[in-house]
Amino acid sequence: MAYQADMRDVLFQLFEWLPTRELLAHERFSEWDPDSVQMVLQEALKLSQEVLGPANVEGDRVGARWENGKVYLPPSFHDAYQKIKEGGWIGCINNPEYGGMGLPEVIGTAVNEFFFGSNISLSLTALLTRGAGYLVEKFGTDEMRQLFCERMYSGQWAGTMCLTEPQAGSDVGASKTRAIKQPNGRYLIQGEKIFITSGDQDLTENIIHAVLARTPDAEPGTKGLSLFVVPKYRVNPDGSLGEFNDVACSNIEHKLGIHGSPTCSLVFGQNDACEGFLLGQEQEGMKLMFYMMNPARIEVGLQGAALAAAAYQAALAYAKTRLQGRHYSKLKDADAPQVAIIEHPDVRRMLFTSNAYVHAMRALLMQTSYYVDMSRLSEGEEAERYQSYVDVLTPICKAWASDWGFRVTEWCLQVFGGYGYTMEYPAEQYLRDAKIASIYEGTNGIQALDFVARKLPLKGGKPIRDLLGKAEETFKKLRNDPQLMEPAWMLAAALKQIEDLSKGLGKRPDAMMVVLLNSVPLLDMVGDVLGAHFLLEQAIVAREKLAAIFAAKGVDASDKKACRAVIEDDGEAAFYHNKVQLAIHFAYRVLPGVTAKAVAIRAGEMAPMEAVL
Amino acid sequence: MKYCVLVAYVPDTASIIKIGGAGNRIDEGGIKWIISPYDEFALEEAIRLKEARGGEVTVITYGPDRGSTGLRECLARGADRAVHVMGGEATFGDAFAIARVLAAAVQKAGPFDLILCGIKGVGSDQSLVGAMVAELLDVPHVSGVVKLEVGEGSLTAQRDVEGGTEVFTAPLPCLVAAHKGLNEPRYPSLKGIMAAKKIPIETWKPADLGLDEAALGGAEATSRWLKLELPAAKAGGTILNGEEDPAGAARELARLLRHEAKAI
Repeated sequence: MAYQADMRDVLFQLFEWLPTRELLAHERFSEWDPDSVQMVLQEALKLSQEVLGPANVEGDRVGARWENGKVYLPPSFHDAYQKIKEGGWIGCINNPEYGGMGLPEVIGTAVNEFFFGSNISLSLTALLTRGAGYLVEKFGTDEMRQLFCERMYSGQWAGTMCLTEPQAGSDVGASKTRAIKQPNGRYLIQGEKIFITSGDQDLTENIIHAVLARTPDAEPGTKGLSLFVVPKYRVNPDGSLGEFNDVACSNIEHKLGIHGSPTCSLVFGQNDACEGFLLGQEQEGMKLMFYMMNPARIEVGLQGAALAAAAYQAALAYAKTRLQGRHYSKLKDADAPQVAIIEHPDVRRMLFTSNAYVHAMRALLMQTSYYVDMSRLSEGEEAERYQSYVDVLTPICKAWASDWGFRVTEWCLQVFGGYGYTMEYPAEQYLRDAKIASIYEGTNGIQALDFVARKLPLKGGKPIRDLLGKAEETFKKLRNDPQLMEPAWMLAAALKQIEDLSKGLGKRPDAMMVVLLNSVPLLDMVGDVLGAHFLLEQAIVAREKLAAIFAAKGVDASDKKACRAVIEDDGEAAFYHNKVQLAIHFAYRVLPGVTAKAVAIRAGEMAPMEAVL
Repeated sequence: MKYCVLVAYVPDTASIIKIGGAGNRIDEGGIKWIISPYDEFALEEAIRLKEARGGEVTVITYGPDRGSTGLRECLARGADRAVHVMGGEATFGDAFAIARVLAAAVQKAGPFDLILCGIKGVGSDQSLVGAMVAELLDVPHVSGVVKLEVGEGSLTAQRDVEGGTEVFTAPLPCLVAAHKGLNEPRYPSLKGIMAAKKIPIETWKPADLGLDEAALGGAEATSRWLKLELPAAKAGGTILNGEEDPAGAARELARLLRHEAKAI
């Protein structure tokens, strides 16, 4: 089954919901306009369907191969990488001064939904290259910028992020990799890193590793880590490649999914010949690394959303063609013909719930990306305000979208029945490829701790109050609305639960333990509320557009039969109608869970701690 | 060298087609429009020739507003100049009328050394316009080309025919209608898309070419589409399971071929 995407909703979210048109009018994006951006999206989708998607199965079945210290990727990955490199897609959102294409983040998110959804394994290389390149651009010397950035943003060289060590996973501060300053100002790097995505591959002639390491007298823990740029091959002053820089790949992991993405163990300096360049100052490595990790966290959330979206499209197409069972109105008629399973209410529910989450995840990621753009376009307090929204939303993007994205791939597999469990259909690969998103780039447990401990109290709690305040505004717009009144009041009830918890929790004597035990549900509650808010906000827009279609066709909006006929005949009308239904469905099916979680948290239930495990 | 590529902007072959209008048109609602795939081969060939030996590529389309989007995509792939002859409603599906408009546009935009187009526009599939344009311009043409070499003042073109290959030489200027296999069209790059935005599309009307579109589609029309019908729904196939009784299945297959399908 070929990769399919919901271009209509992507365009709706960009141009009918978010003020992307206004964003593109900004001088910073003068190279782009709405028409050219739509062409960008069309071409990104075409590449995803014709090049990345077809390579995805080979990536899974053949996978990355390690042989004599080198990693080899399947031939289809080489062809696909070449095409996205030639098209300038790898650095599509990066700085044009260094060879990037300068697209807004929000457009990059749309492009990457297609790339990730059609082939996450290959796309991870591009994700890391963008991020590592950005570290060099922001914290490197002029010489490093000149040597590395353009070659990375163009895809000629790739990048990686090297944090994890055998004893230092979530506990990054336990890293032991050493960096010893040399008389020439460079550092000798020595140590072992594991779980390094794209740590070695044969797509690019050089790989630029961003490595956290410890200088000899550094403080213990994360505070003592410094950040280095470590090329696989040394780079001559003219940019040509010099000798091997003693970065060896000792192994790749055999894992559940993303088989086309080599997960490498790297040994730095086993022959005392690994040279690194310091970024920023010594012992500020962790702080700097977050400039790569935060955008990567948003993109890992996008991985969950994109694979969910792809899984949904595949399940939808299958459900329309697979004949099984009788229509629910003819259950007792043994002679009734078989119908497509999309006619069955239970299948419709699985599909619709999946799609509601997909739209909500897409909204969360696009809204966050839009704030990233605005934080760069504005100045002073306004820029800080937008940045604070990004800070609060980053762990929600990462954890909420990767957790629910994975679950959507599971529901979509279920739609396929027995065939979903086989490798004949793509459902099982989407599920396997999605799982890693809740684990890497900081597990979702780490994201939830970051959310409750750092992001909720950020700036006295103002950013989270602002963001939830927007949901409150949506409630106010709809509180008396005949069609959406109930979803709106459910949103208000969920908001009230969050507010009560935020006021009450801190006063409890067991506050610390309650928060530690419930950080994941707390993050989930906020994700649920934001998702419902986004979908209701979009439903308001969609309903206006639908009314305009009825008016243009001369249909009286109170004539239900006539309206139904329009919705069934006109694809645009159906899209807007479905947007409203998705918002209603999400509110009814998801928001009561917020209250349920709040009840458990408020009760102070401690059984997992009381238990002997 | 100056190259001209004629492109049609047509419904995506993956679109679901419904009959609309007065039963002689497709319903355009919800249709995704694409550059006709055969025209993509023509465009790619022109761009490759330009890259190899210099020159300029002009793309011309004749059709309604949306055609500009197609031209923009041609510019993004590397064309230098784009001309949009607005219209097409009155002359819909009339290959000769379309050829007259395109030939006049080529003449006004030219002169060109080489004119390329696809062997047919996907959708109407008539394979007429290219040859007609060549005749109207009084230049030679080779149709269904899968290999092309352009020299000084002449070209060599290869076309596949049943059981073999035909090789033609022709003097320039010449019109070449491209077939699948001529090349692998490129994807537009982001840089190309960015650059395309800066090139203005020249917009002409048939009247600017000395043509009266109403007359082309009225008194002077050579063909009209009277009625469109979707193909009849296919009946389900019959599957003979031969695993348990291959001989019996073969007998049944022979019976079906003889008596049902009447194929033997």
